[in-house]
Amino acid sequence: MSRNRYLALLGAWVCGLSSACHFERATPELHYSLNEKALADGSLLEDDPAGQVHLLGALELLFGTPSQPSYMVLPEWLDDDFDPTYLGQDSFSDEAWAELVERNREVFADQIAAIQAGDLEGVTKPRYCEDLWELWLGLLDDMPEEGPDGTYYEDDDGNPVTWKEEAVATFEGYYPTLAASAELYRQQCYHCHGASGGGDGSTSQYLNPRPRDYRYGTFKFTALNNKARPRHQDLMRVLEEGIYTTAMPSFRRFSDAQLSGLADYVRLLSIRGETEILMEADYDPDEGIHFDNLRENYELVVDRWRQAPEELIVYEGEVPHATPERIARGRDLYMRDNAANCVKCHGMTGRGDGESVKNDPESSTDDWGNKIVPRDLTTGVFRFGRRPIDLYRRIYAGINGTPMPAHYGMQIVDGEGVTRSLNEDDVWDLVFYARSLSVKEREVSLAQAPHGESHGEHEE
Amino acid sequence: MAQLKHLLFRLIVTALFLAVPILGVWTFVNADQMHVWFPEAVSSFGGEIDHLFSLILWMVGITFVATEVLLVLIILRYSRRDPSRSHYTHGSHVLEMVWTAVPALLLLFILFSQMGVWSEVKIAPPHEPSDPYSRENPLMRVYASQFDWRVRYPDEEGNFEGENVVESAYDIYVPVDTKVFFDLVSRDVLHSFYVPNFRLKQDAIPGMKVPVWFEAREVGDFDLICAELCGWGHYKMAGRVHVLPQDEYTAWLEGQREALYDNGSED
Repeated sequence: MSRNRYLALLGAWVCGLSSACHFERATPELHYSLNEKALADGSLLEDDPAGQVHLLGALELLFGTPSQPSYMVLPEWLDDDFDPTYLGQDSFSDEAWAELVERNREVFADQIAAIQAGDLEGVTKPRYCEDLWELWLGLLDDMPEEGPDGTYYEDDDGNPVTWKEEAVATFEGYYPTLAASAELYRQQCYHCHGASGGGDGSTSQYLNPRPRDYRYGTFKFTALNNKARPRHQDLMRVLEEGIYTTAMPSFRRFSDAQLSGLADYVRLLSIRGETEILMEADYDPDEGIHFDNLRENYELVVDRWRQAPEELIVYEGEVPHATPERIARGRDLYMRDNAANCVKCHGMTGRGDGESVKNDPESSTDDWGNKIVPRDLTTGVFRFGRRPIDLYRRIYAGINGTPMPAHYGMQIVDGEGVTRSLNEDDVWDLVFYARSLSVKEREVSLAQAPHGESHGEHEE
Repeated sequence: MAQLKHLLFRLIVTALFLAVPILGVWTFVNADQMHVWFPEAVSSFGGEIDHLFSLILWMVGITFVATEVLLVLIILRYSRRDPSRSHYTHGSHVLEMVWTAVPALLLLFILFSQMGVWSEVKIAPPHEPSDPYSRENPLMRVYASQFDWRVRYPDEEGNFEGENVVESAYDIYVPVDTKVFFDLVSRDVLHSFYVPNFRLKQDAIPGMKVPVWFEAREVGDFDLICAELCGWGHYKMAGRVHVLPQDEYTAWLEGQREALYDNGSED
């Protein structure tokens, strides 16, 4: 071998090794953008690039950037002790908070054990919590001279709290900042839901149904009436359970605190999007954007979210059980066009193949302009829960953003020929009929795999 | 000088080839310390599967080391500068017979040693009349779909549809020290139910109910992952199997059944 060949070989090794050692994930910097669909939908702002830049700037003032998201807190909110960042935490009961702490104890078990054993070197950096790590490094810098068991501060009653206790409490009571949640969003949600929450991430184009566009504040799955904005618990439930048979999986592998933070961040994106749309609607080509209205619009949108919990649908009384009579009554309401008329979309057999699906394009398009089909009630898949109360809410209040209407209070002719409004009992009858359709399920088409035959094992 | 250079070249090449078996064996010896070895086996058949694995690992390992050492010796021996002419050979029938027959016998040996375990895990699970669950009366049904795991517990009559069916996403709860039978169903494409701690991996096949069983011998939480590339979200298709003491499991299921009739005030 000549010297040149040795040198070439050595060079290849060095190149290979150095690229392997210096490998770093490319982190794209995200930017919030304007809602192109809303602009194209007749806003005159579309033809005013300077105005668009101004609006983007104003929104940045209110909501920050994807790497530093934050709400602008209005002075009267301060008096009220209200901070939109923690809107969701208002709804945290003591039990919910205790559960969150319990999950944190599991997630950070190694770190907490190391602190308690006094092995500060052994505290490893947890994944997905940069902000917690910074708190920890700050604590290390702040250690009292007597060491971990020294007093860190005195609580309200004058009892000393040791540094060690404070360190453990920091891990146990971890709740992510908006910036940390935005980072988790970037890693887990961005590729479908997009940087501004427009449901326009790079993988969104391959999905059916499409990912939610948060910017209209319309969320399909809530436990609420009157198309209210979702409560923190509604967003949490979607994150925890996923939306069955869509690409939205369950994110239970993250801790309650992290999911809660994600819900906080989704709320920010949504409030930002709604404020933007209101500002665009206000636009006047002669006068430009009405920035005087910015504050008013912002407050209006935040108030919509604050009021949401009042709309929770609760059935006062004991949830009834299905009976053949109820199912028969439900069937009657389902089938008649002067009653609930479910048959129009869901079809005679409940397979989601009613008349309107073929003849009425309006009823097969959702608010975001996507084609949708009515639920096939025979599959036994009910999104956002299959408890009777979940289906009760679906029928009672309808599904936001879709042709599924609210049925409670609808004018119907009942089984006895009396015209009246649809009441709670009727809703239950419909629930039990809808559920009875799925009982047969696809049991018939599921062949039992023959015993005694090997089912291929794959190594993948 | 030229001779010295050649000797150096031979030694370097030999050392490089020798590094392969040394590194290979070293990796396995230290795997446990480097946390790249198997997680703890907690299912009833986990030990047997590990035993089969180490049996095959030893067989392959010995063959691997022997072959590599032979290779190194041949490189060292025949890389000398030798001015004499090459010697041609037409092969040896005896040698060929040996290197065909020995691996064939080894394969037969593996075949027979795994049959019992395979049958136990996949074909004829051990079953006693006292067992609360069986293939015909499974504890649960696991649904795989893009990209999550869902499990359904039947009502008291054993129906998987209807009023009192309990459904759970991501989290699967099972009792300890009990033969857990379940059906595995796919809602869309091929998935594979894989719990490393149980040494259990089974494909979910669209249109089929695949019977699966395991018996967890320890209480704890164990990871469930999808082991069949099922689409772009395959990597996030995870779940958690919670093995509970028998009474806690019963209490959990009872609680879930009661919660079905919640009036929603706690939501």
